[in-house]
Amino acid sequence: MEPAHLVVAPLLTALVTAILTLATRSYLNVQRTLSALGGIGYLVGVSVLYQAIQADADGVIVYQLSDWAAPFGITLVADALAVFMLALAGLVSLAALAYSVRFISDYGQRVSYHPLYHLMMVGVTGSFLTGDIFNLFVWFEVMLMSSYVLVAFYSGKEHTRAALTYVVLNLLGSAVMLLAIGGLYATTGTLNMADMARRLADPTAFGIDPAPVLGLSALLFTVFALKAGIAPFQFWVPPAYRAAPAPVAAMLAGVVKKVGVYAIIRLYFTIFAAATLPAGLSLPGLSGTSFLDFFGPVFFIMAAASILLGGFGAVGRKTLDGMLAYSSIGQVGFILLPLAVAATVPEVRVLGIAAALIYSLNHGFAKALLFLASGIVERMTGTLEFANLGGLTERAPVLSGGFFLGALALIGIPPLSGFFGKLLVFDTAARAGADAALAVALVGAILTIAYFSRAWNRGFWGEPVEILDRPSTALTVAVVALALGVVVLGIGFDPVMDAANAAANAALDRTGYVEAVAPEVVA
Amino acid sequence: MTQFALAAVLGLLFALGTFLVLRRDIVRVVWGVTIISQSANVYLVTMGGLSGSVPILSHGAHGDVGAVTDPLVQALVLTAIVIGFGTTAFALVLTYRVHQEHGTIDLFELERGGDT
Repeated sequence: MEPAHLVVAPLLTALVTAILTLATRSYLNVQRTLSALGGIGYLVGVSVLYQAIQADADGVIVYQLSDWAAPFGITLVADALAVFMLALAGLVSLAALAYSVRFISDYGQRVSYHPLYHLMMVGVTGSFLTGDIFNLFVWFEVMLMSSYVLVAFYSGKEHTRAALTYVVLNLLGSAVMLLAIGGLYATTGTLNMADMARRLADPTAFGIDPAPVLGLSALLFTVFALKAGIAPFQFWVPPAYRAAPAPVAAMLAGVVKKVGVYAIIRLYFTIFAAATLPAGLSLPGLSGTSFLDFFGPVFFIMAAASILLGGFGAVGRKTLDGMLAYSSIGQVGFILLPLAVAATVPEVRVLGIAAALIYSLNHGFAKALLFLASGIVERMTGTLEFANLGGLTERAPVLSGGFFLGALALIGIPPLSGFFGKLLVFDTAARAGADAALAVALVGAILTIAYFSRAWNRGFWGEPVEILDRPSTALTVAVVALALGVVVLGIGFDPVMDAANAAANAALDRTGYVEAVAPEVVA
Repeated sequence: MTQFALAAVLGLLFALGTFLVLRRDIVRVVWGVTIISQSANVYLVTMGGLSGSVPILSHGAHGDVGAVTDPLVQALVLTAIVIGFGTTAFALVLTYRVHQEHGTIDLFELERGGDT
């Protein structure tokens, strides 16, 4: 088999699992088994793809659908960056899936929880792999359609209300994305990402005016910011995460948000960075000729706003899941912050992107862990309000230990993976001499300590509360597995750092990306 | 002339969509979102360059390249319409469900009942 075919392996695994689980929905145990097997198969597919990329001379494997050459057909591109994100998605999704098998009731299974879950993974996988900007829109829709239903899954009062906000916002986001894509097609004459990068690098030869491209890419950025929940587009996050079932909230925070982050890295650092404005930016407070000179300050303002808004919001929450949702707004700010520094200061670009990737990986694991733990807490005590919680360390020591590790990972205590994430963010800012970024990161880090200590004091220490129900230990096993993941990623950090560096280099290797896709059929 | 007419229509459609999205009634909000996504489709069609002639005359014979309307955007719009159809249906079902749960589809009343 040609290695090119391996690119579709994760995509097909998720799609086939979705179909099989839909077909077996009357046989609950069969469905559970198939769903879990699908999760494992997905991870196997990703690791095979990873090895194929390691073995490949250029490190980029391209799959042209139906053998239509780029830029005419749809192109799927797997490089170190895509595979890094796929591995993150596969690992977090397997843990959340193992949890879902016991967490979701029989009735929930009959109303298609598992097919929706895997279809969401299809959308996530497609977004990571696609090399075509309109195709990215389609994968986004696949992912969102499933997530709409999963957010409205319990369909009680607050769930329908949260889902309504989520749906209307994302529908508007999709319309804006279409506008931006249509405009980009009209100005650059292509939808293929590699072709677009090639044309933007030499705008006069293709008759492109870079100024509208900058505006349209900024419009497109608002959509990704909406998906990633970056301020000022963060307001949908808390109600949606609170309404979704715990494993879905874990997936939304751990994986689906990272699709927005991935799209920002791929499009703004690989593709749009190819273009320059010969006349320079004539906007107040901005200088330079590169697109990234414009996006750097924009990223920074939004990252800083997210960190502060998420941090202060989380400190004041009355419920555990509300706090986790606000915390995840702040943490996405931490992911965007090194990207902002990397966009402004070219010397730290590789380091900045690697920092964002490591932080995404750590946040994916730790936040998924915390949401899964909060799901168990709700089952046990019937509430997530800090006022009614307490003494969980005595009632559920293993679960509390897992929660504690997740919190420490987000705070950034060595040797957990979060330590390296935070360290790299600070390192990027310090090497670039970005004092403002350092200050914001410091305040954010202190706020993280504050809200997790508060959650720990209120929820896990103190007078033990009555336990209504002992949920299956299989749920705790998923939490413990993620906690182990956080520890293992931190202790065996060298290979993780290598993978992140390779991914960051792949994101910046525009020539390699364009040559691999080879869209030069059209003059 | 076609360009001007379409630009004016697009402006009107977006204005109407925005107006409806800002209503209190959820059904109108859903209509507003639908109109906005449909106007995005109309906008996509105009991005193909409206020359007034047929998209492709025959295989390999395009005539004057400048006078051909790009057929790709029309394929894109087809995809977007199908997706829009699905999401609109879901949004309407969700509206019905909201009505069942809350007994109202007035956003102000929902806001008062909510506790986010």
